[in-house]
Amino acid sequence: MGKGTGILVVAEVGEDGLRTGSLELLTVGRSLAEAMGGELTVVVPGAEVVEAARTVAASGADRVLVVDDERLASFTSGAWTAVVVHAVAETNPAALLIPGTTSGRDYAPRLAARLRLGLAADCVDLAVEDGALVATRPILGGRVQTVVRFEGDGPWIATVRPGSFERAKPTGEEAEIVSLTVELGDDDLKVRVVETLHEDTGGKRLDNAERIVAGGRGLKEPDRFNLVEDLARALNASVGASRAVVDAGWRPHHEQVGQTGQTVAPRLYVAVGISGAVQHLVGMQGADYIVAINRDPDAPIFKIASFGIVGDLFEVVPAVIEEINAARA
Amino acid sequence: MRIVVLIKQVPDMNTVKIDRATGKPTLDGQRVVSSFDEYAIEAGLRLKEQHEGEVTVICAGPPSVKDAITRALAMGVDNAVQIALPNANDIDTLTLATVLVVEIGKLEPDVVLTGQNSDDYQTGHLGPQLAELLGIPHLSSVTRIDGGDSEFSVQRDTEDGKQVVTVSTPLLLMAMTGLNEPRLPSIKGMMAAKRKPVEQVTADLPSAAPSLSWSEPFVPERTVTGTVVQGVAASEAATQLVTWLKEQKLL
Ligand SMILES: Cc1cc2nc3c(=O)[nH]c(=O)nc-3n(C[C@H](O)[C@H](O)[C@H](O)COP(=O)(O)OP(=O)(O)OC[C@H]3O[C@@H](n4cnc5c(N)ncnc54)[C@H](O)[C@@H]3O)c2cc1C
Repeated sequence: MGKGTGILVVAEVGEDGLRTGSLELLTVGRSLAEAMGGELTVVVPGAEVVEAARTVAASGADRVLVVDDERLASFTSGAWTAVVVHAVAETNPAALLIPGTTSGRDYAPRLAARLRLGLAADCVDLAVEDGALVATRPILGGRVQTVVRFEGDGPWIATVRPGSFERAKPTGEEAEIVSLTVELGDDDLKVRVVETLHEDTGGKRLDNAERIVAGGRGLKEPDRFNLVEDLARALNASVGASRAVVDAGWRPHHEQVGQTGQTVAPRLYVAVGISGAVQHLVGMQGADYIVAINRDPDAPIFKIASFGIVGDLFEVVPAVIEEINAARA
Repeated sequence: MRIVVLIKQVPDMNTVKIDRATGKPTLDGQRVVSSFDEYAIEAGLRLKEQHEGEVTVICAGPPSVKDAITRALAMGVDNAVQIALPNANDIDTLTLATVLVVEIGKLEPDVVLTGQNSDDYQTGHLGPQLAELLGIPHLSSVTRIDGGDSEFSVQRDTEDGKQVVTVSTPLLLMAMTGLNEPRLPSIKGMMAAKRKPVEQVTADLPSAAPSLSWSEPFVPERTVTGTVVQGVAASEAATQLVTWLKEQKLL
C-alpha cells in the first residue's frame, strides 16, 4: 500500500449515542494530523448513527465516513474488523486511532493481525518524533509506563485509553459526511448477538448521586465494608464499589463503578482501598472532587485525586468519621 | 472436545515494588500464572467436565515457565506444550501469536481459551490475534459460558451491559473476572502433575522486521495535582481532610 498520510479515527457509538472517547480521539487525531501532515478522517460504524456522525463532523474532522448497517446494531469483532479494514484501504492513513473501550480493545488486535501491522494498546499519550508515532502506555497495573516506538511504513495503530485527552468541541464548521458500504460475508458474521442485558439496579442508581463513597479490595473482607457504609452515612453519600469486590460477591453489581459498571459524576467521590485501575477510573473521573485513601503511595488513584491520604484505611477511615462527626457537632 | 488453554507466567504483582533510586520496578520476585489465565484454565476444566475431552495447556517462555505449567497440570489439565523462548516480553504480540499458532494448530482444538490480558504488559492482544491467524471467531471479556457440544451461548461484559451471543466451534474465548472461581491444586493433583506429559518445543522466530519496539519500564513523573498527605498519624490526616472538605464546601 505504501506509506500513508493523515489520521484515521474510529468513532464509537454506544446505546446512549456517541461515546465521549470518540471526541477525545478527535483532539489527539487533530494534533497528530498537524504534526504529520494530512487530513483527519473519522469513520463511524453502527446502525442509525447519522446523529453521531453529525457531531463528529462538527467537532474538527476533515471528512467523515459513515458505515450505517443494521448488522452493526450491536458490536461484534468480525463485523468491526471488516469495516475498519475497508476504511483503512479507502483512506491509507499514516496512523489509525481506536478508542480503548471493551470493543476497541477487542477488534484492534484482530485487525492488526489481518493487516500485519504494529499495534500499541491502551495508550495515554501519543506524539510524533522524527516523523514516527511514539506512544506511551501504562503496564503492570498502571504504576509503570513504557514508550512504544513504531517502525516501518504503517499504518500504525493505537488503542487510546478513554479520559487521556480533552474532548473536541464544536468548531463551527461541518465536515463532509460520506456514506460507505462495506460487504460483510458469513466469515465476518460468525458471532450472533442475542441481546444486551441491563442490570436490575433495584431502583437505586448511582449516576445521579451527588456524593459517593466507594470501597475496593483493600477492605480485605466483606464484613469490613461497614467502614465504607459508615463513612458514606457521615458524608450523606451513596455507596459504590470496585469490580474486584463485586466479582467477589461482597456488593451488588449496581454499585459497581467503572467501564463495565456505572459511570458517575458526583460532586464528591471518595475511593477507599481502590487502586485506581483504568477500568475503574473511566467510570468516576468526571467527579468534581476525588478523595483517595490507600496505603500504596504509587497507587494510580492518587494521580487523579484532589485529596489523597497515604495510610492504612482501617485507621484512617474511623478517624475521618470521628472528625466529621466532631465538626458537625 | 479438544480444549487448548494459553497461559503466561508473570511476576507476582504483589511483589512488584518500585525502586525510588532508579525509577524502575523490581520484576525479579516470585513468578506466577497471570491471574486472568487462571480463569481460562478453570473454564477449560469445566468444559471438559461437561463435554468430556482433553485439556492441553501451552506456555511459552524461559525455563521457569515449567512452574506455571505444573500448576495448570495440578489443577487438572491433561498435558502441556512448553515452548522455549528467552523472554516472551521481548517480541511483539503478533510475532508471538505466529509462533504459538503453529503448536495450537497441530492440536485442532474446538475451543481455545486465554485470559483477558496478562498482568504485566496488559495488551490483551494475544487472544484476538491468535483467533485471526487460526481463522476462528473470538470473544473477549467473557463472564459466562453455556452450551452444547458445538454451539455456545456466551456472555461478555461491555460498557452497555452484558452482551449475550451465540457462536459455534471452533472458537477462542478470553476469560474475564467473574467467569468462575479457579480451583486450587489438590495434593493428589500435584502428585499426578509429575506424571503428565509435557512436550518441549523450540520456537522458530520469524525474521521479519518488527513494526514496533518499546522502552524499559519506567515510573512516570508524578503529575499529582491535588494534595497528598503521607507519613502522618491517622488522626492528623483526618483533621487535614476535614479541613479541606470544609474549604471546598463539601461539609
Ligand atoms: C474489561 C475489563 C473491565 C473492567 N471493568 C471494571 C469496572 O467497571 N469497575 C472496576 O472497578 N474495575 C473494572 N475492572 C477491573 C479493574 O481492572 C481492577 O481489577 C479493579 O478495579 C480492582 O479493584 P480494586 O481497586 O478494589 O482492587 P485492587 O486493585 O486489588 O486494589 C486494592 C487497593 O487497596 C489498597 N489497600 C490494601 N490494603 C489497604 C489498607 N489496609 N489500607 C489502605 N489501602 C489498602 C491497595 O494498596 C490497593 O491499591 C475491569 C477489568 C477489565 C479487564
